[in-house]
Amino acid sequence: MNPLLPDEALELRATAAKAFAALGGVDLARSAEDDPTVRAKEVAPVLAELGLDDLDPWADPVSLAAAAAVCEAAGRVALPYPVAGFLVRDADGRPTAVVPNGLARVDHGDLFEQWRVVRADGAASVVAATGPALGSRLGPFVADLHVLDDSVAPAHLDALLHLTLSAWSVLGTVDRAVELAVEHVNGRVQFGKPIASFQAVQFQLADSAVAVAGLRELAGFTLWRLGADPDRARPDVLALRLHALEVARSVLRTCQQLHGAAGVCDEYDISVLTRMVQPALRLPWSTERTATALADAIRVDGFDGLFPHAQAAS
Amino acid sequence: MDFDLGEQATALRIRLRDLIATHIAEDYLGAFTTDPADLDVAQRFCATLAEDGLLTIAWPTEFGGGGGSVWDQTVVREEMWAHHEPRGAQYMGLNWVGPAIMAYGSDDQKRQHLPAIAAGRVIWCQGFSEPEAGSDLASLRTRAVVDGDGWRITGQKIWTSYAAMAQWCILAARVGEGTRHEGITMFVVPMDSPGITVRPIRSMLGAHHLNEVFFDDVLAAPAALLGEVGGGWSVIRTALAHERVGIARYARCERLLSALGAALAPHWEDLPASLHTQWARALVQVRVARLLAYRTVHAQATGEVPDVAASAARIAVTQCDQAVAEVLFDAVGHESLDAGAHAPLHGAIEDHWRYAQAATVASGTIEVQRMIVSKALLAGGRV
Repeated sequence: MNPLLPDEALELRATAAKAFAALGGVDLARSAEDDPTVRAKEVAPVLAELGLDDLDPWADPVSLAAAAAVCEAAGRVALPYPVAGFLVRDADGRPTAVVPNGLARVDHGDLFEQWRVVRADGAASVVAATGPALGSRLGPFVADLHVLDDSVAPAHLDALLHLTLSAWSVLGTVDRAVELAVEHVNGRVQFGKPIASFQAVQFQLADSAVAVAGLRELAGFTLWRLGADPDRARPDVLALRLHALEVARSVLRTCQQLHGAAGVCDEYDISVLTRMVQPALRLPWSTERTATALADAIRVDGFDGLFPHAQAAS
Repeated sequence: MDFDLGEQATALRIRLRDLIATHIAEDYLGAFTTDPADLDVAQRFCATLAEDGLLTIAWPTEFGGGGGSVWDQTVVREEMWAHHEPRGAQYMGLNWVGPAIMAYGSDDQKRQHLPAIAAGRVIWCQGFSEPEAGSDLASLRTRAVVDGDGWRITGQKIWTSYAAMAQWCILAARVGEGTRHEGITMFVVPMDSPGITVRPIRSMLGAHHLNEVFFDDVLAAPAALLGEVGGGWSVIRTALAHERVGIARYARCERLLSALGAALAPHWEDLPASLHTQWARALVQVRVARLLAYRTVHAQATGEVPDVAASAARIAVTQCDQAVAEVLFDAVGHESLDAGAHAPLHGAIEDHWRYAQAATVASGTIEVQRMIVSKALLAGGRV
């Protein structure tokens, strides 16, 4: 029993964090909104330097953990790049995204000529961007794609991998959000003292930090299940996605609130992080749809956990 | 990264389930019911575990234990709680009274108490909380003064679990004029000492659980002193260190949620869809709570002192306990008001809900845990 990421993954996470900071950290997301070409011009070369072009998460447990660790680092700065999708490539090198049934809407969908998209039932298609990205405040890089080829092999396991890595990215975002809130409440003085001295503030932070710690443990456990027994990991992955969405909703709300009005201003990282993570929270399925899918999956595959309760005595 | 507890843990778990299946009735709801036979079941089961070397599996071998790991202890804790704690009131003696005596007791105290605990023969209660000293334990007022060779103890304890059935009490009292942590001193006294009065407190937790204990000029022998005069706070910290993770409440939650479908069949499919998703969410919450507890155990296993992580785990575990109680009640609907053998899952769901109401208070309130977590967080630490 060892819940910690392997050292190689931790090292890659640290290296990636430095590289993303050198690109400007959250400022890069701000500048990408004005000039989306920075994604290909500035981010892609850095990812190549980090070795992501050659990283196959399915190769072995360390590679899987390394992929997760990079996604976490990307989530911490709202890196304007579909790192999870880029790490789950098909045989022809296309990135992968899980999409809702009947719609191929993908964050950064405009960034590649072609994508492989996978639906809930595992059916896959090759798609290409129909037009420019939405350019909206909550989905600046989200693009709708059209089908080029429906006759590609199903990709259940790659879909699970993409969902898992996306959750790791969300983990990075919420972990950073709590750090930002801590920095803010320690520095913000009202009524003559830092607002961190108010217990109502302290308790909200404590609950948020515990929620993030729990998500981190679940993300690690799910990664392990996915690597060790991928064919039975569907309920585990859906559980992780559901939990990531619920933790994000509550933690981001709290951390914005603790920033006061600054929480909705893009000068502050918390606002940018909250906006940029929205596509990951709404695509391919939002919270209640994920919960329904999870309940259905448990009915089919069970939810044994760490030791099956039905495994009784001999 | 590996979440497999290993073959040894699996074998231990299966062995414990075998023993429980053999000795404990399926509808057993613990020792603290209105039926005195339930306490007898627990006492016999402790003796059975002791005979098999399982009762003190995690104690060091020099004190007659099995020298097991914190993971062995975790497996025992989970299986016992999942099956309504068939050790009854004795888990406290095993988990921390014994280890505190190992750490602070004299040779005579070790000889007197440790074999009795290991054999499953003795019930201990813990005299910590007082009417004016709950979360703020260091404000306790019970006093011990020198009387001849020994001590005279006067004061009142409250919320004392199992006091009515305990043979021994480990209690914290103040010696001298010190304030706060100064002067707090630990004693071990027989519960049949003249001057001790136990008054049961009626509560929703069940019969024989919570009590007030009055100490009116109780004379204690010199040997009643555990550790040094004024050294009680260290003993308390040691005691709590042995129970950082606390009760494995998530294990019973998981068992009841897993059994719910079969219990409600054939009506399970007729439940509103929102209940199915709430049930799924509860299973996820249970998994998260368990993983946070395991993180603490892993830290202990590698020699760390995971205070903050333990508080985080307790927050998650106790909230999970109460959330699951509500999901189970929602699922069984009006039958939640039934109790006993004819209620859903032999009354286990109703029993769980009542017991869960104290989860965020017992052994340190959730507010205290939040204070510990936020203090670390604001000082730049991680949770």
